[in-house]
Amino acid sequence: MLHNVKDNYIISVKDHVSQFEEKSFRKLASNDFKSWPSPREETWRLSRLGFLSRKEITPIKPNLKKQISSVSKFKGSKIIRFVDGALREDLSSKLPQGASLKILGEKDSLRCFHKFKDSNLKNHPSTNVSFSCTPSIVKLTIEKDVKIKDLFEIIYEGGDDYTSVHPALYIELKDNSIITIIERFNHLSSLIMPLQLVELKKNASINSLKIFNDNQQSYNLSANCTFLSEKSNYNSFSLIKGGLFTRSETHAYLKGENCNLNLNGVYLSCKNQHHDLTTAIYHDVPNCTSKQIVRGVLGGKSTGVFQGKVRVAPDAQKTDGQQMSRAILLSENAIANAKPELEIYADDVICAHGATVGEIDDDQLFYLKSRGISEKKAKQILIRAFLKDIINESVEESIQNYVFEEAELALSEIISKEI
Amino acid sequence: MGNLNYLTNIGRKMPLLEIKNAKLKLDNKDILKGLSLSVNRGEVHAIMGPNGSGKSTLSYMLAGRDGYELASGEVFLEGQSLSDMEADERARSGLFLAFQYPVELPGVGGMSFLREAVNSRRKFLGEEELDHLAFVKEARKVASKMFVKDEMLKRAVNVGFSGGEKKRFEILQMAMLKPKVSILDETDSGLDVDALKIVSDGVNAQRNDENAIVVITHYQRLLDYIVPDFVHILSDGNIIKSGGPELALEVEKNGYAGLINAA
Repeated sequence: MLHNVKDNYIISVKDHVSQFEEKSFRKLASNDFKSWPSPREETWRLSRLGFLSRKEITPIKPNLKKQISSVSKFKGSKIIRFVDGALREDLSSKLPQGASLKILGEKDSLRCFHKFKDSNLKNHPSTNVSFSCTPSIVKLTIEKDVKIKDLFEIIYEGGDDYTSVHPALYIELKDNSIITIIERFNHLSSLIMPLQLVELKKNASINSLKIFNDNQQSYNLSANCTFLSEKSNYNSFSLIKGGLFTRSETHAYLKGENCNLNLNGVYLSCKNQHHDLTTAIYHDVPNCTSKQIVRGVLGGKSTGVFQGKVRVAPDAQKTDGQQMSRAILLSENAIANAKPELEIYADDVICAHGATVGEIDDDQLFYLKSRGISEKKAKQILIRAFLKDIINESVEESIQNYVFEEAELALSEIISKEI
Repeated sequence: MGNLNYLTNIGRKMPLLEIKNAKLKLDNKDILKGLSLSVNRGEVHAIMGPNGSGKSTLSYMLAGRDGYELASGEVFLEGQSLSDMEADERARSGLFLAFQYPVELPGVGGMSFLREAVNSRRKFLGEEELDHLAFVKEARKVASKMFVKDEMLKRAVNVGFSGGEKKRFEILQMAMLKPKVSILDETDSGLDVDALKIVSDGVNAQRNDENAIVVITHYQRLLDYIVPDFVHILSDGNIIKSGGPELALEVEKNGYAGLINAA
């Protein structure tokens, strides 16, 4: 019986693409989806997907009249909405000059698909499944020299029991453009497989904040592939707090000299949640910097995973790559895994990494207690500070409070149970 | 009423801090070996000793750090036994430890930290907690006397502070918390002469007839600025000699070796 069920999703995906021509990128993608990754594959060893093969899931048919539930938290922000994985222009804002949204045709979609297939995300299940099943690939373009002042908010919602959702977004920032984008994942119980391709052209800058806040019956397998050109800047912060199983995987290719990448993140996990931040940074050229700070707070029977790979190519001299991960376990039954992976083939580089998993720092706790602050209160102060510290360092000042409030919602739940 | 007065007088005659035959082991090694000390109101005691004599252990033991519980003996703060009290309860009851190495608290703002500490103590004393505005006003007033700039209170506690700033911030906390007994653990370490003077002035300003200060130090230098009433020499887990300020000068002149050998 089991093997029949196992084949169901593959069959559903094939069904979904049957309507398209043989040569379409969807067919190509679906051909590569043969099974869920095996736990024997190194990058999936700590985040196993076997349970998905035992679920009867079918790709969602987007309901273009679906009511929305998420409201914007920012006055005057420009909103782009995806519901059931499909762009809802009727529910999105008119974009300012220099910014545009477009649904890609077959040819451009194919190009997009190949960018993923040329990257190390080629075998990621979301790559193969979402290119097969996405309603459309949406492209957001910021024109040359345009500095967007408005905050862009991309809200992904929808989903339904036993369905999979496939939003696909391609963001292109042309030379010297700047933007800040907040993305929120707010799906109902479903399997969400977002695809994102980001291309930063010369001297372009993006501040990206992602909040994974799908409901606690959801699975999110986000795949992001980013290319940085000369002097470009990608400053990204992910807050993972929702879902039963959320994995955010980002692969960043530093292709032009003097570019700068920050891939920071926080996961806040409780109950039986499984949260995974997986990153791969490829320093292919000299004189670039990358930095990663990842922190996690875990309670209940939750699991946190951080996998950070940094590859420095033989030619990428003068690379400065820093990586630091720290997880605090508030429960005896919580598990945190940290797996730094440094592959350095150049000799004139600065690369540092460190990973710790543990409890609240004894010295800090004693210091607070020695000032008359109760142990309970002291722990709360230290956990909040642990997050505040990285949030302040990672996101721009105008949205720090917002991020902290978002984190606080999950944190207060963990704290109330564990401290 | 008469009875109450009688009780109060008893309380006043009682030492503020009393250590009785304190024995403590760390990793199965005897560190404190039956140390006794009595500190009265209005007194400043200096405890001097060479490295490894048990000075820091003594301060952690008094402050109630986990793992520094007494194997035997007892400590009383105003007649009340500390043995069953956690570090935070001891602090709220009026015991203060100025750290040799103040701990950095990234992400914890100086002002909110101070307020949390002060309000914990006020609540314990049955005083009203200070609201934000009243507190900030009070903190700034005290801070300016300690040459602690406003800007320092906005930063995370001890993060990126110089050695002098850290010690000044410790003494600022002492001034805000108004403890009965303050233990200054190697407060002079890492300070240049100017910083030493500022910190000492801060401590001296808080000396009064109601509180007591225990200065733990390796060098005599600090005692030029904070002049003690009594000096005790700590060696190998015990006080081997007690005297007046002149004892510190003797240490300065002859080193610890002479005293220890004589004892």
